[in-house]
Amino acid sequence: MGKYLLRRILQMIPVVLGTTLLVYALVFALPGDPVKAMFGDKPVNAAVAAQIRAEYNLDKPFIIQYLLFLKNALTLNFGNTFAGQPVIDEIGRAFPVTIRLALMAFVFEAVFGVIFGIISGLKKGKWYDSVILIVSLLLISVPTFVTGFLAQYFLGVKWRLLPVTAGSDPGFLDLLMPAMVLGSVSMAYIIRLTRSEVSSNIAEDYVRTARAKGMSNRSVIVRHVLRNSLIPVVTYLGQDLGALMGGAMISETIFNVHGIGFLTYQSILKGESNMVVSIVTLLTLIFVVCNLAVDMLYAALDPRIRYA
Amino acid sequence: MKKRMLALTAVACSLGMLLAGCGATNATGAKDGNGVITVFDTEPQNLLVPGNTNESGGARPGTLLFAGLVSFDAKGKASNEVAQSIEGNANSTQYTVKLKPGWKFSDGTPVTSKSFTKAWSYVANVKNAQKCSSFLSTVQGYDDLQKAGSLKGTEQLSGLKDIDDTTFTVTMSKPDATFPIKVGYLAFAPLPESFYKDPKAFGNAPVGDGPYKLESWNHNTEIRLVRNKLYKGNVKPKNGGVTFKIYTKVDAAYADVQGNNLDVLDTVPTADAKSFRTDQNVQAYNRPGSIIQMFTIPSNLPHFEAGTQEGTLRRQAISKAIDRQGIIDKVLNGTGTQPVDFTSPKTPGFSKGLKGKDNLVFNAASAKELWAKADAISKDNDKFTISYNSDGGNKAIYDAMVNSIKNTLGIDVAADPMPTFQEFRNAVDKRSIKGGFRSGWQPDYPSAENYLFQEYDSAAAHGSGSNDGDYQNREYDRLMDEAYAAPSTDAANAIYSQAQEILLNDLPAIPMYYDNAHGVAAKGVKGLAVDWQNLPVYSQLHK
Repeated sequence: MGKYLLRRILQMIPVVLGTTLLVYALVFALPGDPVKAMFGDKPVNAAVAAQIRAEYNLDKPFIIQYLLFLKNALTLNFGNTFAGQPVIDEIGRAFPVTIRLALMAFVFEAVFGVIFGIISGLKKGKWYDSVILIVSLLLISVPTFVTGFLAQYFLGVKWRLLPVTAGSDPGFLDLLMPAMVLGSVSMAYIIRLTRSEVSSNIAEDYVRTARAKGMSNRSVIVRHVLRNSLIPVVTYLGQDLGALMGGAMISETIFNVHGIGFLTYQSILKGESNMVVSIVTLLTLIFVVCNLAVDMLYAALDPRIRYA
Repeated sequence: MKKRMLALTAVACSLGMLLAGCGATNATGAKDGNGVITVFDTEPQNLLVPGNTNESGGARPGTLLFAGLVSFDAKGKASNEVAQSIEGNANSTQYTVKLKPGWKFSDGTPVTSKSFTKAWSYVANVKNAQKCSSFLSTVQGYDDLQKAGSLKGTEQLSGLKDIDDTTFTVTMSKPDATFPIKVGYLAFAPLPESFYKDPKAFGNAPVGDGPYKLESWNHNTEIRLVRNKLYKGNVKPKNGGVTFKIYTKVDAAYADVQGNNLDVLDTVPTADAKSFRTDQNVQAYNRPGSIIQMFTIPSNLPHFEAGTQEGTLRRQAISKAIDRQGIIDKVLNGTGTQPVDFTSPKTPGFSKGLKGKDNLVFNAASAKELWAKADAISKDNDKFTISYNSDGGNKAIYDAMVNSIKNTLGIDVAADPMPTFQEFRNAVDKRSIKGGFRSGWQPDYPSAENYLFQEYDSAAAHGSGSNDGDYQNREYDRLMDEAYAAPSTDAANAIYSQAQEILLNDLPAIPMYYDNAHGVAAKGVKGLAVDWQNLPVYSQLHK
């Protein structure tokens, strides 16, 4: 297990290098001059623009800019934003908020997704199975921003049940609505995934055997059906945590959550390559770590994988 | 094995809840007490240093933190603030500024002549890379401070002389009658000595002499201002403080005003443009404002050459072919005003009766006639395009405008959206747009000069200013120079009106509409007024 872990960690190095280079090139290729854009419609003092360009190495060729970024990044210096704030501080402010949001969404989708999925799977064809299926279909097909605005208008503005926006230093209640909106689509997928797994596993021979041995219904479901059904669900959840971190942008903008999604969007618009690359690197790392965790969980769920 | 799995799930759940709950200090959006008003803002692009603030995110709090020599009332009329008097000589090339005694920064240090002269020199000095440096360009010694290589950043403008603690003189390199108004712009704010020790630390926690002082700035979240007890200027705040809540998107701010979580939003999201004036959850406002929206037609565009007979005819035809009122009513839902000049109704000296204003009125018959006359000189079969940046919500307006021109003149016209403002500006700078392009103008200080010189004088053409259409007209330039050397603001305004009549004939740009100052406030907010910058007068708001 230790060797396996080490190999997986070493594999991250080329992944991170490749991603940063790719993203840096993409931001570099964005049309327009970020320095000139800082002046808006107002006259640009060419000397001042040149001064700013030199300060951020924007006057150097692409590859030099990238190498300078790498060199500084190795000493954990990610540079400053155009506004003069250290990139690391900005990320440090935004990241915990998004992690909180993503984890809440994750817990929401995992708990409700699996519970409703099991109920649906066990009671296939009953009326609540149909209701769950219809609701999950709706959640999948309606875009997040529509769900978000509807939730905001009814739960926030009209009925005053939850805060309209998350605002500064969001707490549990502030993030509840954005997290539910963010997690709703994945929850619907998990419901359907769990449902189909449970309903097919329940008809398997080993379940019948277990029942024939006189095992209680509860034990059969928890020990045999669930355990086997959850493997694809865990795979999905593991990948989804990374996706939630990156995909929080829509929910963050609707609910004014000052997280990483919005920071990325703003930085792309402003052409702040250092910021964009730093964030993407971080997200890549999270994605890789999540995948690693999934592989480890597999082993816990399925002994055949462990001993293979 | 069952236990292990359950334990794992339990750990994952409780970890999530723990992380989620750990910031739960201010659970719901509690309303601020003590007469503090919350208003919309975006995160300032830069640290809050006056000379480096050229966008509204920073200007909103900036103008409350710093008081300059003069201040403007809501109508844009200037009156002395820190200045006791600003006396100019006959041709506006030298000014003597006297300060009122006893002014202090919010840290208790005195505001002296040096607080101004040193700050202005800092802004002008290219080594300090201040975005507003070009505002100092008419002060003597400015050119010497533009050679980045040989400068340390501490060199002073040679045109500024401190006589004593409350008197200084300003010598201009060329006449500048607008100077006594210009000095009300944020870039001309005085700075305390502490600024120079660490400009970055200062920018994070600015110390000014304005009606409010900074309490805290939590980046990307909120900027809290409280009343500055040491302030003794023209502004009489009616609230205990102003908190700028920073938003990532206007839509979220609008929902917050509806939900009574935010007091004032000085704009309206596109999605609510139709309904905001009848929305029961908010108080809406919509008044004539200071921003003018236009599109420029490059002076050298074939068949549209400025100053030639054919070009002028075509420009006038295009302008008369646009049903502005229709677009204002239908697309802007009444949040605009039909233009009659090249400045705005909020600009001192504004006149509704300029010769040639008919060129800005929809007249299909006359438009067709003018176009036919131009075609008689030389037939134009090219497609006419109008470019704009589509990230600013301009699509509906440009589509409507293009349709209006097409339907009236029966010619081939198309809107040409460009994805981002950056890309659009880049194309404008490179002069690569072969057609008309969007050009809005928001004034920095309430003066016709700020609109007319920057956008249409030859000195601002070919990349040295904002004359992006490279319009050149000797007679116009002469009037600009004359206005600069005028003995008073009123005399200058009379000359500016004359100059505008040239523009109304030549149409280097086609005015479309004045952007109204419009927005929403929460129920119960009182004292809603809008200033010459289209922003709420924050100091007058109260509940």
